[in-house]
Amino acid sequence: MLYPVLNVLWQSLHFERLNQPQRGTPFIGLDNFVRMLWGRDEMAWSLSKLWLPRALLLASLVPIWIAARRGGLKRGLAVVATVVLVAAAGWLLGYHPAEGTRWGDPRFWNSFNITLLLIVVTVVGAFLLGLPLALLANVKHPLKWLVRLALLLPWAMPRVFSGLAFAWLFQSDYGVVNDLLGRMGINHVLALVLPEQWIGPRGVYWLARDVPAVVAVSLAIIWKTSSFVGLILLAGLQSIDDSLYEAARIDGANAWQRFWRITLPLLRPAIMVALIFRTLTAVQTFDEPFAMTGGGPGRTLETLGIYIYKTVNGLDIGYAAALAVALFAISLFITIFYLRWIYKDD
Amino acid sequence: MPRSSSPNQPPGRRSKPQGGRAARLFLLLALVLVVVNGLFPSLWLLLTSFKQDGELTRLPITWLPADPTLQNYVAVFERNPFALFLRNSFVVSIAATLITVLFAGLAGYALGRLKLRGRKVILTGIVMTSMFPSLVLLVPLYRLFRGVEIPWLSGLLFFPEGFGTPNLLNTYWALIIPYVALSLPIATIILTSFFQLIPDDLEAAATVDGTSRLGALFRIIMPLSAPGMVTAAIIVFVNSWNEFLLALTFNTAVEMRTVPVGITFYQGQFSFPWAVISAAVTLGVIPLVLLIIFFQQKIISGLTAGGVKG
Repeated sequence: MLYPVLNVLWQSLHFERLNQPQRGTPFIGLDNFVRMLWGRDEMAWSLSKLWLPRALLLASLVPIWIAARRGGLKRGLAVVATVVLVAAAGWLLGYHPAEGTRWGDPRFWNSFNITLLLIVVTVVGAFLLGLPLALLANVKHPLKWLVRLALLLPWAMPRVFSGLAFAWLFQSDYGVVNDLLGRMGINHVLALVLPEQWIGPRGVYWLARDVPAVVAVSLAIIWKTSSFVGLILLAGLQSIDDSLYEAARIDGANAWQRFWRITLPLLRPAIMVALIFRTLTAVQTFDEPFAMTGGGPGRTLETLGIYIYKTVNGLDIGYAAALAVALFAISLFITIFYLRWIYKDD
Repeated sequence: MPRSSSPNQPPGRRSKPQGGRAARLFLLLALVLVVVNGLFPSLWLLLTSFKQDGELTRLPITWLPADPTLQNYVAVFERNPFALFLRNSFVVSIAATLITVLFAGLAGYALGRLKLRGRKVILTGIVMTSMFPSLVLLVPLYRLFRGVEIPWLSGLLFFPEGFGTPNLLNTYWALIIPYVALSLPIATIILTSFFQLIPDDLEAAATVDGTSRLGALFRIIMPLSAPGMVTAAIIVFVNSWNEFLLALTFNTAVEMRTVPVGITFYQGQFSFPWAVISAAVTLGVIPLVLLIIFFQQKIISGLTAGGVKG
């Protein structure tokens, strides 16, 4: 498992285009990342140019960090100062008078933003939907098997299938969502509230306008992933000892208190597991936006995953590796964040 | 028989408070909502797949098919080699499942039953790798499967004119290898927790009778942990069946596509033949539905083992 990481790291330092083999695979240092974050076209800042000032600037960060720490700055402040310095250095490095100060590969930043947005929205959404699902699936009931089936089916569905299913549900003319909204009269309300260009003759253009498309894709992802969250939480619920509830009931605690005082605290480990796994899969969001809008409308839903896929398909392997490293860095950051959160509590 | 970590009668909340008809009604309503939420999108696709083409674009939209037809299912097989997609999916998923369960069984046995030094470290490592983003694998594996020349082997005695890996793109191996790699961690975690449940005495008795350690593994432990094997196998199978990105990138030839990839090719540039797509999706989901109907409890217990241990 270490091999692909090292390989992709090594690859990200090279130029490689499979459709231009005559250009070889020269080592270009951090140029792929410079292109991604600070936005020069490929090879515009090859190692031959300006490598000395760049290296000096980067090297100077270490003494600055040490000085900041020695000088008694709090760690948080030192981090902020270093980040500011790195950003300033990057700005200086990426600045090119002839091209103005355009920042970064716009497609990368767009995919970065939409991925972050989808992470936040779908993780919170899947959790808010998954918790009641788990609670209800744990209720003794003659139809429990049906409830569990309803919980398992979204989990077992390929994400592409659920994406296609939701694309059909949200179809603007003949989709069932617009039909239901129309019957309930909500379409009239939406027509008043929402911008004019989002509204078609039969309701909202769900998949053809940017914000509605984000909403529709998020709902598809939430539907699909809430079942996974629900299953993990259900497992957590089943491990809670029943006698605790009996004792609480004898002590006169009502259902609401029992939920807050017993269920939620004891469910914490399961909640953490579900959140970690859900967040890390959300970083890789690919299937649903790909199946529903192909990354569109325009590039609205071109997540980091879709961008990497398109870059690989464009045979620009070196840059795709750099993008993959960025994605890996994001998931590593999230993992560390969660682990610190867990260990702080223990 | 060792049972899964959640036996048939899970100690859950007995029920919501018995009091009040309103509370019970509310509960029932909530349960109905859960069922509708879980099943509606699939049911809607099922209904759509029986509708005539013209019915889909008629307003107001109909819920039940007015004139049920099977022509969409015929079209699924006519427009694309769907039978081939199904076969590819089955071959890849079953092969990946068998290989994974074999290796995960050995690893799980070592981790669950032997007193290994550094067990905890290894288990933590496995949990970490199970969180590994598969997207990062895309680039290195793509290069690897196109065929890479291995410079330090080339020019040696046996490989004078260069040695490289074969081009695996558009073969089953291009999918089986990454699926095994991606499923091994979760399968190992599941099987480790199952092996831990088997009492030590059984194995000790077998060893006294003169069976070797490996013999005990295959004759005693393996049959006893069959439920765990099945659980791991189901989860690996479902994961492999559902994987999309790698299959889309590595196997681009029409005759090598798996079901999830193949289904995305029914839509034209501007046309979405929704009835046919629905029929194809329905066909692709059937194996999964059968699995979750027959192995409901096993899947839940497997996810439990994989999740809570993590």
